[in-house]
Amino acid sequence: MSHSSSSSSSSNPGSPTATAAPNITTATVVNTSETPSSSSSFSSKAHSSIQSLSSIISSIPSSLSSSPNPSFSLLHDPTISSQISSLLRHPDSGSGDNNLCRWLYDTFHSTDPELQLVVLRFIPIIAGVYLSRIALRKSLAGFEAILLAFYAHETNARGGQPITVHVPDLSHPSIYHEAKPSAKNKSTELNLAVISPTLEPHGTMRSTRRARIVGVALELYYSKISQMPVTSKIEFCEFCEIWAGKSRANHKDGEEDHGKKSGSNDDEMEKVKKERRIPLPWELLQPSLRILGHCFLGPHRSKELFDAASSAIKSLYERSLHDIDAKAILATSSLLRLEKFALDPKNNIDHTEIKMENVISL
Amino acid sequence: MLCACSGEQFKFEDAPQSPESLATRDFSASGLSSRTGDWESKLEDVQVDEVESTLKEALSLNYEEARALLGRLEYQRGNFDAALQVFLGIDIKGLTPRMMRAIVLRTRQRKPHRSKGDIIPPSVMSMHSVSLLLEAILLKAKSLEELGHFREAAKECNIILDVVEAALPNGMHEGIVEDCKLQEMFHKALELLPNLWTKAGFLSEAITAYRRALVKPWNLDPLRLASVQKDLAATLLYGGVETSLPPHLQVWGSTTPNGNIEEAILLLLLLMQKVAYGEIKWDADIMDHLTFAFSVTGQFELLATHVEQALPGIYERAERWYLLALCYAAAGQNEVALNLLKKVSGQSEAKHKPHIPALLFGAKLSSQDPKHSHYGITFARNVIDLADQATEHFKGQAHKFLGVCYGNAARISISDSERALFQKESLASLNSAALNMKEDPEVMFNLSLENAVQRNLDVAFDNAMAYSNMVTENSGRGWRLLALILSADRRFKDAETIHEFALDEAGRLDQLELLRLKAVLQIAQERPKQAIETYRILLSLIQAQREPQSNTSDNATISDSENVAERNMEMAAWQDLATVYTKFGSWTDAEICLNKAKSIEFYSPKSWHTTGLLFEAQSLYKEALVSFSVSLSIEPEYVPSIVSTAAILVQLGGQSLPIARSYLMNALRLDPTNHDAWMNLGLIAKMEGSLQQAADFFQAAYELKMSAPVEAFS
Repeated sequence: MSHSSSSSSSSNPGSPTATAAPNITTATVVNTSETPSSSSSFSSKAHSSIQSLSSIISSIPSSLSSSPNPSFSLLHDPTISSQISSLLRHPDSGSGDNNLCRWLYDTFHSTDPELQLVVLRFIPIIAGVYLSRIALRKSLAGFEAILLAFYAHETNARGGQPITVHVPDLSHPSIYHEAKPSAKNKSTELNLAVISPTLEPHGTMRSTRRARIVGVALELYYSKISQMPVTSKIEFCEFCEIWAGKSRANHKDGEEDHGKKSGSNDDEMEKVKKERRIPLPWELLQPSLRILGHCFLGPHRSKELFDAASSAIKSLYERSLHDIDAKAILATSSLLRLEKFALDPKNNIDHTEIKMENVISL
Repeated sequence: MLCACSGEQFKFEDAPQSPESLATRDFSASGLSSRTGDWESKLEDVQVDEVESTLKEALSLNYEEARALLGRLEYQRGNFDAALQVFLGIDIKGLTPRMMRAIVLRTRQRKPHRSKGDIIPPSVMSMHSVSLLLEAILLKAKSLEELGHFREAAKECNIILDVVEAALPNGMHEGIVEDCKLQEMFHKALELLPNLWTKAGFLSEAITAYRRALVKPWNLDPLRLASVQKDLAATLLYGGVETSLPPHLQVWGSTTPNGNIEEAILLLLLLMQKVAYGEIKWDADIMDHLTFAFSVTGQFELLATHVEQALPGIYERAERWYLLALCYAAAGQNEVALNLLKKVSGQSEAKHKPHIPALLFGAKLSSQDPKHSHYGITFARNVIDLADQATEHFKGQAHKFLGVCYGNAARISISDSERALFQKESLASLNSAALNMKEDPEVMFNLSLENAVQRNLDVAFDNAMAYSNMVTENSGRGWRLLALILSADRRFKDAETIHEFALDEAGRLDQLELLRLKAVLQIAQERPKQAIETYRILLSLIQAQREPQSNTSDNATISDSENVAERNMEMAAWQDLATVYTKFGSWTDAEICLNKAKSIEFYSPKSWHTTGLLFEAQSLYKEALVSFSVSLSIEPEYVPSIVSTAAILVQLGGQSLPIARSYLMNALRLDPTNHDAWMNLGLIAKMEGSLQQAADFFQAAYELKMSAPVEAFS
């Protein structure tokens, strides 16, 4: 797959506005991805994107093209997602000449942030299938091109800089507290914590960089996670469980009732064999845990997602115990203990309920 | 049941208005529900016309208040729809300015030393009315919530906050509002609003609402305040929505939290401080949230201090040591971690149930450093002895660490018989681990390494190949081991091929290591010129890496351990170069290289050994001996220097021979596979005339040399 960055703008020859899209609009909309794009150029980009997708997947609901916000519908349409998902999970997916990979790559390079979300929605499957198949040692250039595109996007957006936080020093007052005079007045050294280290540009996937590149793609996914559909997050949880190396026999049933319409049973068996436990270095595990933390304890009300996250974290915890990986043990066990907190109704006393009284004082 | 308090009812009858009117309360600054005795006197102050206007006001108020009360009844009965209908009849929008005004005036009036002219016009609502209306709004919000209209509910609830916040811009200090009811309603609204926004799916709004509750003093009960702080921290940590602080809250300069995680950590640290000061009880959730936050930010040492600060009784002793050990190991302080783990298996815990994860962790940490190998053996043996059905799967791991520790123990062993025993145990344990954990690449690697060290090169090669087939993340050490095994087998060409392949895939540090190995392989094949070129590349790579770093001294991306590894690499390169130049006979070049090496680390036994070799090559035997003895004074068991000293003594001949032999025997005790030592022993035997013995020694030297890797396996 010989993708160059210049090919992205001219990749949709069917779109009359693809090259005419004014740069000013693209620049201003980048940061406001939450607002629906009203710009007609984006809308037509979405239409041309849908058009090229129609040659790849078998059926596209007619409602999609008539939708006022086609990108949004594309992101949330369950039939399209499940078709793309099963194509991505197909045993022969991910090669360099794969049409779907090309479509994802091109769509990500469209300047429409909403269309980019449609691609990001598939990060769990792309990363999941990709990492599980490394051991097979066959060409996965299609997946690699997309993952490298995510990585390049993040590198560009951050200017290569690391993401850091300052660990607050309580001896200084803050918006939430007044400083208490502490007995020992420690020197106020800034405690800098690195969440994501410096990004160096990588043009190719190397085995030693793989975890980091996929990890950065997951960081990108996490940054948009509030806009991701629940099914996408559930897919991520399921892959975490596979990565952790849970026995696939139990897992298979869960996958099937999750509803993949296409894909014969043989494919399924094939997949089961090929998706397997993978090495989990911290640079891959850390962003994964942040995503899982959100799926597990975040403010959503999907029982299914909660259960998927819970089971993924349990598997990762067992894996971390087996690997005796101190960081992973600390992180996963803290999340597991918080499950009890999330489930125990005793902890959720509603202070806002008014007192039930028979007497009304006037 | 609507059953008005009889005490208050009585006062209504005393008032000049009809008993039904609730407006009477407007004469009282504090409202009728307060039982202050000064209501008579206040009545005197009131002018008749004011009474009239109040009555007019009161008529409309009655209507609102009646609805408020009726709504509450319906709400309490669970008729949320009906309650909502009743509440909808209250013109909240129209009333809010008056409510605000009432709160402003009536809270100000409570200040001491008020002058007579400060009398509040009776048209101002009573606090009680305000409270009643606030309650009505709150219940309206809650009815909407019950009916599933979270967004509308949040908007209603927001009105309460807007009203009170506008009236009391500096917060609600203790005693400002004596009317508890108003404060109570307001507090409930403060806590309800973020929940409503969360349920409505507006997380940014929820976070803003939490912050509103927290940034001003609202006189919230400390426990409830802590609970709001905890909820905000959790929302920030797991919400997945980055919500930066609004500009008006960014007044704290550098201490303004920048980003969700930072704000969450600040709140959690505050909560931990409250726990420490005894203001709130220990809360495991806070600790767990903090653990997660510190884990993803890599602040394991800080986490350890918080585990240490937990009061006795919160954790079991063994559990706490284990936790602390995890923290310190995660922070890279393996020694500290290991010391803690030794306590877990120590005497004090003898009566407690054994803590298997801690023992296993101890075995793992011990296996990483040869000097702890004997502890590791104890840890691992303990796990194997204790493992029952439930912990069966730990057994394989324990065998692995046991094997590694035995191998390490063998390498530092000073007794030949002990070494042989340890080596046997090591292979046995590793083989048994391999049976249990067929898919664990670590076992394979260590099995290969141990076989290589014991010069079972064919087995070692097979294991190393199995290892590299298992790992998908090709590790530099795997390639290095494979190349060394090949070099020991004199298959230099194959080693170089492997090496080329590995170099392409390797990470930065591995790359440096592999480059050096390449040079060493080139030297072994008598291609010194190519080797010098390889060293040149290696050194310039290190140099290039260093330059951008010097600009940003606080660059946190390169760890200290990496820096140390890099410096060692650089020194090794100079030492190797010096050896090459010495062989060539270019003394000055060799000396320059040695000075470079010594400028990095003066007390390196190898640098002094190489210096000695340089002197020896120039036939300056005395100086060479001095250098070797410097090397040995730094590290008394540095085998190459022992052998080289002996070699010079052999050259000097005569009375030195017994001393030389004793040196060599010592060297062989430390490293039985040192072919140079065997060679020199042979020379001595030959000089002494024991030709048969000499032949045996030479034979051993030859065989060992034929199976020696270009540098030590481990």
